[in-house]
Formats: sequence, structure tokens, C-alpha cells
Amino acid sequence: MKVGRWKLLLPLALLAVGATIATSGALASSAQSSEVKFAIMTDCKGAFAFGYEVDTAGTIAALSQYAGAKPKNKKKPSAGMTGGKAGGKNLNLVGIGCGDETPALALKETRRLMVQLGADIMIGPLSGDEAVAIANWAKQNRSKTVIIGTAGSQDPTMQIAPKNVFRYHGDGAQWNAGLGEIVYKKLGWRTAALIGDDYSFPWTSAAGIIADFCGIGGKITKRVWTPPAGGDYAPFVRQLPRPNQVDGYFWLVGGANTATALTAFEQAYGPLKASQHSGNLFLYFLGANTTVAPRLVGSYVGGFGTFQTGGLKKAQARAYVKNASKWFTGQNVNDGFFYNYWNAAWAMVQGLNKSKGEVGVALQTRLPRTLKPGFQVANNGVLRLDSRRQAIQDQYQLQITKASGTGSVTTTIAGYVPNVDQTFGGYFGPNKPAPGRNFPPCVKKKLPWQGKVKVVKNGVITNQVIK
Amino acid sequence: MSIDTTKVLTERVIGVAALVLAVVAPALVSGFWLNSILTQALILGIAAMSLIFLSAYGGMISLAQTGLMGIAGYALANMVTQRVPGGETKGLLLGWDPTLALIAAILLTVAIGLAFGAVASRSFGIYFLMLTLTYTVIAYLFVGSVTLIGGFSPVAGVDRYTPGFIGDIAGDRERLYYITLITAVSVYVLVRYLVRTPFGISFQGIRDEPLRMASLGYNVALHRTLAFGIGAFIAALAGVLYAWWFGQLSPTTMGLDATIQLLVIAVIGGLRRIEGAWLGALAFLIINNEVTNRIPSSGLPVIGGTFNTVIGFIFLAIVIVSPDGLMGIWDRLWEMLRRRGGPTHAEPEGSEPAIVSS
Amino acid sequence: MARAAAAALVLFAILYVLVIADPPDEFGAGNWRTTNSGSALDDPSSFLTTVLDGLTFAGLLFIVASGFSLIFGLMRVVNMAHGAFYLLGGYIAYEVQQRMTGSGFGLQPNEVSTLEWVVPWLVAMVCIGVFGLGVQQLLLRWNQGQDLRQALITIAVSVIVADQVIAHFPRTVPVGTQQFGGNAVTITWPGWTNRLVDLHIGGVSYSLSRFTMLGLGIAVGLALYLWLHRTKTGLVIRAGVDDRQMASAIGINIQTTFAIAFLVGSALAAFGATVGGSQASIAQGRDGEWLLFSLVVVIIGGMGSLAGAAVGSVLYGLVFAFAVAYLPLAGNDCCQQYSVVLTFALMALVLAFRPQGLFGRAA
Repeated sequence: MKVGRWKLLLPLALLAVGATIATSGALASSAQSSEVKFAIMTDCKGAFAFGYEVDTAGTIAALSQYAGAKPKNKKKPSAGMTGGKAGGKNLNLVGIGCGDETPALALKETRRLMVQLGADIMIGPLSGDEAVAIANWAKQNRSKTVIIGTAGSQDPTMQIAPKNVFRYHGDGAQWNAGLGEIVYKKLGWRTAALIGDDYSFPWTSAAGIIADFCGIGGKITKRVWTPPAGGDYAPFVRQLPRPNQVDGYFWLVGGANTATALTAFEQAYGPLKASQHSGNLFLYFLGANTTVAPRLVGSYVGGFGTFQTGGLKKAQARAYVKNASKWFTGQNVNDGFFYNYWNAAWAMVQGLNKSKGEVGVALQTRLPRTLKPGFQVANNGVLRLDSRRQAIQDQYQLQITKASGTGSVTTTIAGYVPNVDQTFGGYFGPNKPAPGRNFPPCVKKKLPWQGKVKVVKNGVITNQVIK
Repeated sequence: MSIDTTKVLTERVIGVAALVLAVVAPALVSGFWLNSILTQALILGIAAMSLIFLSAYGGMISLAQTGLMGIAGYALANMVTQRVPGGETKGLLLGWDPTLALIAAILLTVAIGLAFGAVASRSFGIYFLMLTLTYTVIAYLFVGSVTLIGGFSPVAGVDRYTPGFIGDIAGDRERLYYITLITAVSVYVLVRYLVRTPFGISFQGIRDEPLRMASLGYNVALHRTLAFGIGAFIAALAGVLYAWWFGQLSPTTMGLDATIQLLVIAVIGGLRRIEGAWLGALAFLIINNEVTNRIPSSGLPVIGGTFNTVIGFIFLAIVIVSPDGLMGIWDRLWEMLRRRGGPTHAEPEGSEPAIVSS
Repeated sequence: MARAAAAALVLFAILYVLVIADPPDEFGAGNWRTTNSGSALDDPSSFLTTVLDGLTFAGLLFIVASGFSLIFGLMRVVNMAHGAFYLLGGYIAYEVQQRMTGSGFGLQPNEVSTLEWVVPWLVAMVCIGVFGLGVQQLLLRWNQGQDLRQALITIAVSVIVADQVIAHFPRTVPVGTQQFGGNAVTITWPGWTNRLVDLHIGGVSYSLSRFTMLGLGIAVGLALYLWLHRTKTGLVIRAGVDDRQMASAIGINIQTTFAIAFLVGSALAAFGATVGGSQASIAQGRDGEWLLFSLVVVIIGGMGSLAGAAVGSVLYGLVFAFAVAYLPLAGNDCCQQYSVVLTFALMALVLAFRPQGLFGRAA
């Protein structure tokens, strides 16, 4: 009987303790207005789990540079920061959101950070569909401000575009501006097939490639969309035209499946020929750089809106790298995840300074509509937001190369496209459908930067255009 | 007064007290707690109730409830949202009248539930469990693959098109809370009434002795199918409320994680008693909130891991120590008191936990 | 009536694939009759490769599902942690291969010898076999007969194990990449599998790696068959499947038999993970994916039946491959995206007419 009693009493006791803790949390209320509460939204699970530390590093580094904050731990950004003042008020990082790419969790974390913990400003999120969910929420919560971290879906600043959502970097389509033209001219591709995951980020990413490639005269002969649920890739890869029927393939399969899909391709059609394959940043990032990139040395891949490899020989870029590297050890400040979160945090500080620490609509009207981020070159180094608070950003396209000495692979910047706007010169628009399986169609159209993609050599943007 | 009547009386008192607290809760707790914990607990409780209804009175542990919830939510979202400038971009965007859409969504879910139930009605125990799991998976894959009705991206805006009598629940969270509370209480009363009807009694008979009931001339398969349909109805209500509460639908709503989560809630609360539904939901959400807020980014100390490890261990402990969950602990407390009263009292019927005898 | 309708549907589908379908016209447009490569008559080599795709995938499905089916058939335990075992086994195999080859980043196939694939495979199987045995002895031995309770216990185990695996793997990552977090890793096949084999039929060359997958599946099937039908332990297992109580009553040590069966079943999950990790990848989420595949295969084929697992795997693999290859291309939103749904519709079809599965015993 003694055991039986413990079976009852122990759980009951735990319950009582738990209930007390819980109710104290429920009844407590917070009312502070001498500080500005903000939160970082990033991923700590799923394909972008590494973003947790990198995004936080970018944010806190910017706040250290421009708002007098200090990282608590130079090796571990997620340890947080001390200090930090903007617009005369103290900055309080109330929490770091932990998403896993899915919109449901992103929304749950948003509520936790911005309702329970009271943040008024969010820097983030990291991934496309998360931003769609959060933008929809932000539409109905106008007093909260969202400055997107690195999410690349088109909707948040095109079709949804609430007045309290800002994005100081390009979307997935913008990141690929110029890539289609590069492969058309340098690799001689005239026909291509496309394979990607069946959800919004790959659609957006593909839209950028299609606009460029078809705009200059190429033809996309087949689009294959694979279910995010996974399974066996062999039947999908067989839907693609054979290597002798098409000049090249664009790959937009990401996450855990990049290597899987490319392996399936090899098993169907033989070894990969680098000159026949291109794709978006998935081909290089997310760990693909170890499994996939070695087989694709020489391929051109889409960029991330930054001078990813470092070494851009411009004063603004050098100053950025110098400033950004001061605050944490072991961070690659050229990486898009760091760079874009830095810029978002910097914009927040500028906005707060102007609004004298006021948040809400007062902040939203005063967030800067221009910024001077490290890798912006056109327009005298000034990045502008368009009428929907979306950045018009310079883009850098990459080529996978072998790193000298170590034998691993890396990327070099191959091309530069100035001032890419989200509509691609009218291709996309808020009243047009969002990128989808078959949108945009493959049409010949002159884009504003067609024929103006500049060659980049050793960190110098030359005046030659890609021929 | 015998122990049994004391127990019933105590439960009634606690129930009324809980109801009173629930009614005045908006005045007592913060906005976040009201919206994210209490309202969500009520909604998950309704969903868990659909599961516990089937398990307590039918001996059928169904993992299809999450799927049915999702179906109702997606149906409503697709029917109700419209193609307007600055509006939604995902889903069918049919733009129907919200009241009509509400009824249609619930009816559709019940119809699908009856179809599922018809196929599953001839399976028992473990087979039934696995079959219902695959139903949810089918629904999950369907909405995930068919981008016409949603796809991976969220279908949003459903909370802006509510029927007139519901009103604006996107802005007024208190209103949503009360609507959820009223629905929860109504569903509870409905089920309590149902199990006393001839249908309910024969349903419980089928739970205990399916062969005997069949030989007495009862159509076992039909009873189980209908019961599954009732479960689908309750799950549909939960799904619709969830759509209004969360505002967006994405496939994760009926993924494997969500399905396991609902099962965990039902087991923690107690598979034998429908009151366990809300108890389990509240306990789960509170633990979730506390643990998530306290775990550092590096994971739990020593063993690493997240909230999932914690709830996994709690779940394991409950299944091993008290398979009837928290309500089971309550019942056993009274059992102990009854035994103290003397050895002459008989063992009450059905004293074995729901998951032990199968 | 319903049976006739279903049979007609199946017949139509077969005829569609064999004869009715058309290839797309030069503009790539289509109607309900258009498929990517036309019918089997139009393009026999595509038909053949689709069949091979389905069969080779079935090989992998069988390896994983057979373990699940074995445990259920004998002990009536629905091991919901089977997917978590798969995930853990896959990461262990990856770690061992990385240690052996000493490579910091992506292995190219020609760098991997057979031993460097076989040893990780063995280590993973042993580790997971022992781990599974531990779980069974600790958590499942004392509550035999309580099927639902055991299912719930294995669910709890799966939640805990999956979370822990994500927190502690992968451990060996290239410089600059994040450790842990359940990131995707791949195991690499031995170098000699990395070629296409010319089949001399219709000009089809097919991947040797995929044939290896099929070969391993057949080997597992044969080994299990021989074990169950030619050894004493196997005899006891089959007796236990038929009538547990009687087997115990006549003095067979049923506990040892259960332990062995659980060990073998778990080891098969790790076996499947090594193959699956070479073919696809090991990452967070694969546990749920493979639990579902196992579930679907044994539901179609019938629980506890080895032949059922084989038939279920073949059916599932073929339907999946054919659904992707031969669903019509009739415009923007039809019909390829329904391929995954179709595979589950197959399952629903089987269940509607035979709830215990094709080879299962009546529940």
C-alpha cells in the first residue's frame, strides 16, 4: 500500500507545485515603458537550425556597433547582450524565437515573444513561409513592428504588404537576378528544365531565374515540383528531360533533400556535369556545400544578396567588415544570415533614434527608407525601400570553385546586378498572382538590368558586362 | 452518505467552481494567458474530448481527430476567404457567406468522419489505432500536396470572415474566449446526455462485449460508425474554433506532432473520463509554456533536448504509473478512501484502466 | 457492387498506363490522356525504368517494414518508436563511416570502400538491436497483452528518442557547419555501386546502387524466411505468432523468443537506415516519415506476415513510382501533385475490402 500511496501523492504534490508556479505567471502583469522591448525570430530546428546563433550574432553585433550594447559571450551569441540604448530608452532583448520553418510554429513563437513577453519589435523571421504567417498576423496587430531577417518569400511585402512589415534585403526572386542571363551567355544555355520543392520559397526563387532566363530568350521546357514530404526522388527526376535533350537544369530542392535529389539524378542519368547544372542558394548553403557542391565545381548558383565570399574592394564594404567583425569570434560577417540581420537591427536603431524611443506607428513612420549597408554599391551605396517597404538591392551571383590548398569547395562572386527591385521591372506585382507552379510564364521581356550584369573579378566590380 | 455520492458531490462542486473561474477569468489573468493558454486549452480540450468520448465510451482510441480538426479548419478557410486586393493569396478563395461556410465545413467533416468510421468500424484495438493514424496522414498529405487548397504555405485570413453571431473575434479575444467556453460547456453537456440515451448505452455495451451485443442483434459496425461521426462533429467544432483562434491553417496542424500531442493530452487527462480532456489540455499547455520559457538555447541541462523530452518522460510516467491519467489519480484517491471505509464495499465496475484491458 | 467498381478502376488504370496514355505534344500541353512519356507502348524503356524504380524502392521499404511487422506479428507490439530507431541507427552509421574514412566533408563515392560501408552498417545494427532490447526488457516485458498501453509506451519512447537524437547528432560535421540540430547527412555507398548498368533492353541503363538496394531487400527477405522456417528459434516464433499462450503453456521460453524478435526487428530498422541514408539522407523528420512508410506497408500487406510485408512493399513502391510517372499532365494544377495522395488511396482501397490487410489474419 505504501508504494500505491506514493504513486498518488507524488504526482499530486508535483501538480500543486506546478499549479502555483503557473498561476503566479498568469496573474503577474508587466507594465514598463522606459525601455524598448524587442525580440529576435530565427530557427533552431530543421534545415536552418544553424541560423539561431548566426542571426543573433548579426543582430547583437549591429546593436553593439550602433546602440552601445555589448555581447554577453563573444563565442555564443545566443547568450544575449547587455546595455544598448536607442532613442533615449534602454533596449531589452526579451527572447529569441525558435522556429523550424513551419508557419504554425513561427506564429506560436511570435505570440510568445510579442504578446506574452511583450516585445514591440521583431527582427526576423528567417524563412519564407514563416514570414507569410507573421505578415498575416502583423496585419491585424498594427502596433507591432516586424523587420524581416532573411525570409525570401514574395508575399509579405508584395501581396500582403502590411504597413508594419519592413524588409531591408531582397526576396528569393531578387537573389537570383542575373543568374539566368549568366548561364545563357556564359554557358550557352538555350533550353533548361527546372526542379524544386513544391512550396512558396522555391516558387519565388524559380520566378527570379525564369524572369531572367526567359527574358533574354531562353526557354524553360519542363518544371518538376517535388513534394516536401520526401519519399523517393527517382520517379521525379525521371520527369526531367534527359541531359541530351536540354542544355541545363535549375535546382531548387533544399533542406535535407538537395543531396538526395542530385544523387537520384546521377543514378538516373550518370555523373553530374557542372556546366549543365545551376540553381539557387540551396546548392551551396545548408550543408550542401559538403555533399553536393564538390560535384558541381564550376556551376553558377544564385546569391543571397551579399558579397558572400568577402573581399569587396569598396570603402563601405571594408568599413562594414571591420565593424561587424569586432564583436564575436568565429562569425562569417559576409554571410547573408549575419549581414541581413545586422542591417535589420541597424535600421531599428535608426528608427528608434528618430522616434525618440516611441514604438508602434510612431516608429513605423520613422524607420529609415534608405540604408547604407556594406555591400550596396549602386546609387552611391544607398539602398532604398520601395513603396511597400521592400528593399531595392544590389545582387551578387556566385560560382562554385575549389578552395586553394584545402581541397574543399567555396564560391566566388561571378556577377553583379545593380538595384534589383522586387517587381523585376513589372514582371511581378501586388495584383498579379504570387509565384507558383506555373507562374511566371516563360516569356521574352526586357528586364531593367538585362545586358548590364557586370563581371566581378577578385573583389572588384569591373565595368565589363557579362558576354 | 456513501463515498460514491460524496465523490459525485465533490466533483460537482469543483466543476461549478471551475466554471465560475472560467467565466471571470478575463478579469483575473493577463491577455496572453487568456488567449494563448486558456482559449487554446478550451479548444484542445474539445478536440481531446472527441478522442476521449470514443475511448471512454467506445473503447476506440482514435488518432484521426487531429485530421478531422484540420479538415474542418481547411474547409472553412477555403470557403470563407475571398480574393480581394491586399487580401489572401492562398486557397480556393470561394468567398461564401460565413454562416453557410461554417455549416458546410462542419457537415463536410462529419461526412468524411462517417466515411472513415465506416471503414474503421470493423477494426478494433491496435488495428483501429493505426488505421485512424493513417487517416490523419492522408489528410495531412492531401492538404500539403494540393496547393489549390493550401499547400505548405499558410491559408490565412479565416478569422476575418466570421458569421454575424460570432462577430469580430480577430480583434476581440475575450469574445472568442467566451464563444469557446460556451462551445466547450455545450459539448460536454451534449456528451453527458448522449451516453445516457439508448444509443449511448448500447455503444458502451459494444465497448465491453462486442460479440454479445452482436448476438443480441445490435449492429455493431453501425453503432461504431455513428459514434465516429459524433466524434467527427466534436472535432469539427474544435477545428473551426482553432481556425478562428489561430487565424491561419497550415499542414502542421494535422501533422504527426500535432496528432501525438493530442493523444498525450488525452492520456494525461485520462482516457476514461471526459473531464480529463480539459484537465490534460491545461496541464500540457502550462508545462509547455513554463518549460519553453526556461530552457536555455543549448537545451535541457545535462541531457540536452527540448520540451519534447520533458513531455515524453511525463507521458511515459503517466502511462506506466497511472494509465488513466490525472482523472485516474483522482479516481484512485477516492478508491483509497472507499477502501478505508471497510472491506465490504464492492469493487466498482470498469476499474481497469482503459488502455490496460484490450 | 463496390468491389466491381474498384476492380474496374484498377483495370482502367492498368490499361491507361499500358495503352491509353499519350506523350505530350511539342508545346508541352496536355489533356487527361497526356503523361510525361506516353504509354508503355509509346515508350517501353520509360515503363521499364518506372517498374525498376518501384521495385528497388520496395526493397528498401521491405527492409524497414519487415522489422516492424516481425515485432507486431509475434508480440502484438506496435513499435511506434521504429522510426526513431531508424533515425538513431542512421546517424550512428554516418558517424562510424565518417570516423573510418577520416573525411571532414562530403565523401565522393569512389573514396568509399565496401568495408567502409559494411562496418557502419554492422555497428548501427548492433547498437540499435541492443537499444531496442533494452527498451523491450525495461518497458514492455511486464505489461504484455496490454496492446494499447504498449503502443502508448512506444510513442513516449519515440518522442524522447527523436528529441534526444536531434539534440546530439550529427556530431561529425565539416568546419564551419553547425553540429547537432538533426541536420541532414548522407551515408555514402561503396565506390563500385556508383555506375549505371546497361540492361540491353530498350536501351535502358539502370543504377547499380538501386539494384543493390533491391538485392539487399531480397537478401533480408530470404534470410528472414530461412530463419523463420528452418531454425528452431524461427519455429518458436511462428508458433508464438499463431498461439502465444499455447506456446508458453507447452514450456517454450517465450520471453527469450520475444527478446530475440525485438532485437532483430530493431536491428532491421538500423539496417534500413543505413541503406536509406545512402540513398536519401538522414535528417530530422525522417523518423516520422519511415514510421509511416512501415505502417502503410504492413497495413496493406497484413500485420505479422512476412509475405505481407513483401507484397505491401512492392505494391507501395510500384504505385508510388507509377503515380509520379503516369499521372496526367493536364494543366497547371493536375495531376502530379496528387501522386502522394494516390499511394494512400491505395491503402484505403485495400482496407475497405480487407481490413486485416492482404495477408493478415482477421483481427
